[in-house]
Amino acid sequence: MKNSTRSFFKALLPFCLLASCAEPQDFSQFDDLEITPVVEGSILYVESPESVINQIEGINFITQDFNFDAFSEDFVAERTIDGVVIYEVENTTSKRLNIMVEFLDEAETVLDTEIFAVDPAPTSILRREISYGGASGRSIDIIRNTSSLRVGAENLGDNSTTSILPDPKIILRTSAKLRIRLK
Amino acid sequence: MTYVRGLLMTLLLGCITMHAQNKELLYDFTDIPQALLINPGMKTSSEWYAGIPLLSGISFQVGTSGFTVDDIFADDGLDINDKIRDRVIYSADITDELSGTYQVELLSGGFRRQNRPSDFYSFGIYNEGDAIGYWMRDLAILAYEGNADQLGRRFNLGHLKTRGEVLNVFHFGLNRRMSDKLTVGARAKVYSGIIAYKSTHNRGYFLTTAGQQNLLANTIEADLELRTSGLEKLREILTDDTSDHAAEIRKLALKRGFLGGDLGLGVDLGLSYNLNEKTVFTASLLDLGFMYHTSDVRSFTLRGNATVEGVQVILPDAFSDPDRDFWQSLIDDVQDLVPFEEDNNAYISFRPTKLYSSIRYNFGEPVASMADCDCSYKVSGRRNLDMGYTNGLGLQLYAINRPRGPQTALSAFYMRKLGRVLALKTTYTIDKFSTTNIGLGLNLQAGPVNFYVMADNLLAYRNIADSHYASLQFGLNIISWGKN
Repeated sequence: MKNSTRSFFKALLPFCLLASCAEPQDFSQFDDLEITPVVEGSILYVESPESVINQIEGINFITQDFNFDAFSEDFVAERTIDGVVIYEVENTTSKRLNIMVEFLDEAETVLDTEIFAVDPAPTSILRREISYGGASGRSIDIIRNTSSLRVGAENLGDNSTTSILPDPKIILRTSAKLRIRLK
Repeated sequence: MTYVRGLLMTLLLGCITMHAQNKELLYDFTDIPQALLINPGMKTSSEWYAGIPLLSGISFQVGTSGFTVDDIFADDGLDINDKIRDRVIYSADITDELSGTYQVELLSGGFRRQNRPSDFYSFGIYNEGDAIGYWMRDLAILAYEGNADQLGRRFNLGHLKTRGEVLNVFHFGLNRRMSDKLTVGARAKVYSGIIAYKSTHNRGYFLTTAGQQNLLANTIEADLELRTSGLEKLREILTDDTSDHAAEIRKLALKRGFLGGDLGLGVDLGLSYNLNEKTVFTASLLDLGFMYHTSDVRSFTLRGNATVEGVQVILPDAFSDPDRDFWQSLIDDVQDLVPFEEDNNAYISFRPTKLYSSIRYNFGEPVASMADCDCSYKVSGRRNLDMGYTNGLGLQLYAINRPRGPQTALSAFYMRKLGRVLALKTTYTIDKFSTTNIGLGLNLQAGPVNFYVMADNLLAYRNIADSHYASLQFGLNIISWGKN
């Protein structure tokens, strides 16, 4: 019995000896952890048929402010690192148009302006990407402080002709892609 | 205040990272009274025992099945962001879990009935915390990478599956020797819930696609629910800067833990059966019960579906209300379609039921029981099946009911008795956490003083930070084999 007991302990000994090691850990690495997801979604869609443009006398057929608090929400405003705003303008009307998008802060101060000169149909879809933040982009504070968007449209053509394309209209599509720092 | 918050965070995170409840070392370790808690039908021979309050049974088990502390924090010169992305975010699977339990006996004791010595009663109170969280892979990827450039990818919201609770358990058990072969037992339990949370039946997805009108469409289809009990009062204490947080939390835990919170009922069942002189079969079913959460309940739901393509202004309709706040209308529409609601309705949760079973073959030299008894409750005239042996070898099966289905473990064990003073048990366990889990338990009987200590997954102690699982159990009791 003594022998078997001794053997048993001998077998256990390595386990006990093994139970004393731990590789060094560096928990300060947590400070270096960066969690910066990139989120994207549509911002604004504006559509006007050519018939509406024809009905409005004068150059400006749209000038309207749209409340848009998504950027100025504390969570987004405080954590946005950089981003891209993407525009697409599609003109199937017979008119040459100027489309203007302005970013406004709470006091309705214009922070940024983007103008699109669009030729009459047939013309390709105009796509433009504007970067904010980083070394080459416009100031990220424009995004952070934007509280509303102002959309203006000018008819540089007439008020009588209609495009031969089906359902002619001017469409502004916008989306944003923002990199947000969670950690 | 910061200290208390830190402590609570540690406790909560600790609960989340604790391992499953398998106590393969303690199971059927018949020399230890606390083994009755995991098989009320275990063979017992003592006349009475009394646990040292707060020290009679303490167990902590910690671990993860997906990644380890070492995977992330090893001082290996690698960028932690690469390690998180490669070893956690994209490596862990939805079946990987962070789960576990702790248990602290507040009071325990047992005695043999004088006029019916085949019956042994045991009773006590213990505090238990149990939690499980499955790896929320899609939600983690969404939080880590975002939804950009992921057109058509469905982020599964159903990956959110977690539950946890802290409670006190008041129990009373009866262990009865039916014959020289069969011992059965049952334990009634009253649960007194302190805190609980549960979010286990979630469905839905978040999806980004090309928009029908605008450039992108974000779609959410959600059927999410989180039920909590006892957490609101805790939150109130922690946000009240004028109160003594530690004292208030202690008061709250005492009140809710001693039948002033949620209540529930449960039962444990168990048996031991000698297949022959040397072979013993055992089985137990634990925590077959439920908790009725009625106090301080706060539940949240997010149900519905919506697709958003940003603010949409379509002329000439938009001219009909030039002052309309399109952004607020969009927000309102989404909130109507996918309402975030809250209620205080009572709810029922079922306890994580556990199953143990074992078969043990005894061999070696016979060892007389510690009982210096006249064996009046034993069947005489045949070979005494209570006679222990110096060696025991066998297999154990463990299963626990979890939100993603039963979780099992298989253990091989070897027990060794060294006289009447020392008993050892070593186990080799295979489960989803480890295939190299070797554990060792030691029971020391110095006169009436009983002390046991057990540790699991010893090989992992070569680098404890790289361990998926580590556990420690110990306890101190006074045991008598004499007359009452």
